[in-house]
Amino acid sequence: MDTAALIIRDVSLGYQSLEVVSRISLDLKNQELVCLLGPSGCGKSSLLRAIAGFQPLSSGEIWLSDRLLSSISWSVPPEERRVGMVFQDIALFPHLSVEANIGFGLADWSELNRRERINALLSLIGLEGLGPRYPHELSGGQQQRVALARAMAPKPNLLLLDEPFSGLDTELRGRLASEVRTILKSDGICALLVTHDQREAFDFADRIAVMSDGRISQIDTPFNLYHEPKNRFVAHFVGQGETVNAIIHGPRSVKSPLGILSTDQDLPYPLNTPVQLFLRPDDLIHDDSSDYLAKLVRKHFRGAHHLYEVQLDSGVVLGCFAPSHHNHEIGEQIGVRLDVEHLVVFPLDLKEEGSANVHIEQPF
Amino acid sequence: MAVVLSKIIGCFRSLRPNAFLLITVVAALCVALPIGVIFAYLFTGASDVWTHLLDTLLGRYVANSAWLSLLVACGVVVIGVPTAWIVSVYRFPGRSILSWLLLLPMAYPAYILAYTYTSVLDFSGPVLTWMREMGMSEWLMAPLLGLRSLPGAALMLSLVLYPYVYLMSRAAFLDQSVNLMEAGYTLGQGRWAVFRRVVMPMSRPAIAAGTMLAIMETLADFGTVQFFGVQTFTTGIVRTYYGLGDTIGAAQLSSLLLGFVAFLVLAERVSRHRIRYYSDRLRKLDQTAVEVRGLKAVLMQLLCCLPIFFGFLLPTAILLKWIFIYAEWQSLWRLTWNSFALAGVVSAIIVFMALAIAYANRLYPSKWLFYLTVVVGLGYALPGVVVAIGVLIPFGNLDSLISDMLSIFGVQPSLWLSGSLFALGFAYLVRFLAVGYGNVSSGLSRIRPSLDQSGRLLGLSQMGVLHRLHMPLMRGSVMTAILVCFVDILKELPATMILRPFNFNTLAVKAYELAGDERLIDAAAPSLMIVVVGLLPVIWLNRSVGRE
Repeated sequence: MDTAALIIRDVSLGYQSLEVVSRISLDLKNQELVCLLGPSGCGKSSLLRAIAGFQPLSSGEIWLSDRLLSSISWSVPPEERRVGMVFQDIALFPHLSVEANIGFGLADWSELNRRERINALLSLIGLEGLGPRYPHELSGGQQQRVALARAMAPKPNLLLLDEPFSGLDTELRGRLASEVRTILKSDGICALLVTHDQREAFDFADRIAVMSDGRISQIDTPFNLYHEPKNRFVAHFVGQGETVNAIIHGPRSVKSPLGILSTDQDLPYPLNTPVQLFLRPDDLIHDDSSDYLAKLVRKHFRGAHHLYEVQLDSGVVLGCFAPSHHNHEIGEQIGVRLDVEHLVVFPLDLKEEGSANVHIEQPF
Repeated sequence: MAVVLSKIIGCFRSLRPNAFLLITVVAALCVALPIGVIFAYLFTGASDVWTHLLDTLLGRYVANSAWLSLLVACGVVVIGVPTAWIVSVYRFPGRSILSWLLLLPMAYPAYILAYTYTSVLDFSGPVLTWMREMGMSEWLMAPLLGLRSLPGAALMLSLVLYPYVYLMSRAAFLDQSVNLMEAGYTLGQGRWAVFRRVVMPMSRPAIAAGTMLAIMETLADFGTVQFFGVQTFTTGIVRTYYGLGDTIGAAQLSSLLLGFVAFLVLAERVSRHRIRYYSDRLRKLDQTAVEVRGLKAVLMQLLCCLPIFFGFLLPTAILLKWIFIYAEWQSLWRLTWNSFALAGVVSAIIVFMALAIAYANRLYPSKWLFYLTVVVGLGYALPGVVVAIGVLIPFGNLDSLISDMLSIFGVQPSLWLSGSLFALGFAYLVRFLAVGYGNVSSGLSRIRPSLDQSGRLLGLSQMGVLHRLHMPLMRGSVMTAILVCFVDILKELPATMILRPFNFNTLAVKAYELAGDERLIDAAAPSLMIVVVGLLPVIWLNRSVGRE
């Protein structure tokens, strides 16, 4: 159960002189759903195409179920890899019906088995009875589920999903991501999803590998990624947040502009080291009785709550949640209070880590 | 050419929007006239000649035309599809050059190819003389001597018409999302299975459309079949009209041919209609071409070279050789001037009208306008012979009417219209307006409506949008339309032959007449001129495709 199904060892990929993936290693356990999350151009799709066999490696190895699929000198052709793939443009065969699409990879199965498999998949994706339809007669979400069924039909050892929801509208996207998760979990298949949408990743994956510039920045559960980002890139790319200057105040506490904060873990910095403290909007709470005041500069009504942007004396603007009925005017000084469970502390900018120029897709 | 272009655009700017509608109506009436005349004769009583035809020759016309179409259909697919597949999917040295050299045979009218090959493969020609000297047996030579036959005509036509299939299937192959093929691979299917189960079914409509176009050209061909002595509808119509002097019989034969063509047009429309949802927007095949090396690459190069060699290089070499033996330059300039002036003026008028129709459709989209435009589009499907007969009959009637009226004033009767360049120009307009319109409207449809809208919001009037935005963007497609019409008119043989005024010769007619009189060497100069000019749109199109 806990053996690794897919093993990616030190894999590099490149087009001509440009290296798009550098020495990535990643293991997927059986039945595990993993997501490659990263901004566009970070190399995640290239990695996926290499696993499918459409892209040669410039270093490293890819193994699936104890079989070497790719190395520098070796490549199993895509059709013999037992790797299924769901494409960004859905790529259903427009000249074939839904059934024929799903049955496409089952050419050497017996008629009876094929029928059974197709029907089982149709009911798994909730499209019983739509078998004779043609792709253009289905909605976008239905097409995507058929594409999923088609890829699952030959019982591949691994399923790859290349931004499969990006062509769909936002609401459908979130719903499909968790629907697909349920379908894959019930089939016990191991899958790798590529996306730049973190909510999709949260809905889908057991573990998320955040990629930037051809490398994996951090692999972790969605919860840990959000609450314990290992570096600035992950902190900013996953969720929202801002850094403020702080000073190490004790082995387990820092002194910030908004008071002294402590944690239950040792901080790896000597006393009085200047550091940066990473704060998410849910770490900062609006509290009229607080001693700390900040100027309200922007506000976003979110229905159940307000997302305020408040400016500290130092000029840093932080996000802050406030109850829906606490309606303050812009320019007002309002009371704020920190409520932090995990201290996320980074060393003071030694080097920028490239995080400053990263475009962050955020539904602010 | 550039002068013509700016003149057309200049004239066009001074039009008022309503004039577009008027021009569309006039254009549709022009095209409808010969069609209406031809079909009207279907319901007039049968002449004696007609009964004679029905008893003796009609069966042969039908059979020959059908066989010829079938053979050409096979020929163009056999040549066009594999070459298109090779240059789309594989990367080998010379691929990009070969991919456009494969279009060159388009510049040849089939009848020119026919008589160059006839001379080479003649009993006393170089090939057979050489074979006799080598002591080869009779049965090896027999098929070469049999070129003057129906299969021979089919071969000639296939060699110049395959580019239609090549172009359309290449576009279809290139347009297919690679993801579809890759989806096939990830589902455990090999290269051949993916070709058979994914690529072919999806390209079939495009291949069918290209084949239909080739068949239409085949049915319209007169020069090749006449030269080879194959009796088809077109030769039958000309024979009935000239030889038997029977207008009604010729018109009735024409209407039968039109029935044939109408069926093809419908079939083509249907297959084209299905192409639409087959194209996709993501990564295209071109970027993922498979590298081939060594023997396999050489084999592919050879395969692509074959049709180029036989469809272009060899006949061109022969024509060049003949030209150096003998060319009558004095008369050649005269012929060239006649042809160019006529083709230039008519193609300018055609493109002007095509622009008006395209704009009428964009500015005032409505059902009846759509039907008018469909009528305009029918023109290209009309074989030149049919157009000529369909123009000659009403114009001739009009002439006698005018002559009757003028005789009151003592003016001698004359062929005021039917014997003039006006009738010929009119016939060209009917036949090639669809070509001009196709090019112009595809250029216009590439300009998104949002561009018009932002133009309007930035303060331009409807006509201002046309002047400031569309005209600069449309230059390329207007140029293409003029070039393609120009060359088509230059190559058009039967309509020119029937309708030209007395003593007025063009390159095509002269080349054909000289070849018909077995003066093949004399025919080389005008033929080569047609081919050279015919290359212009091929080069131009390739240039603009490369730029995109």
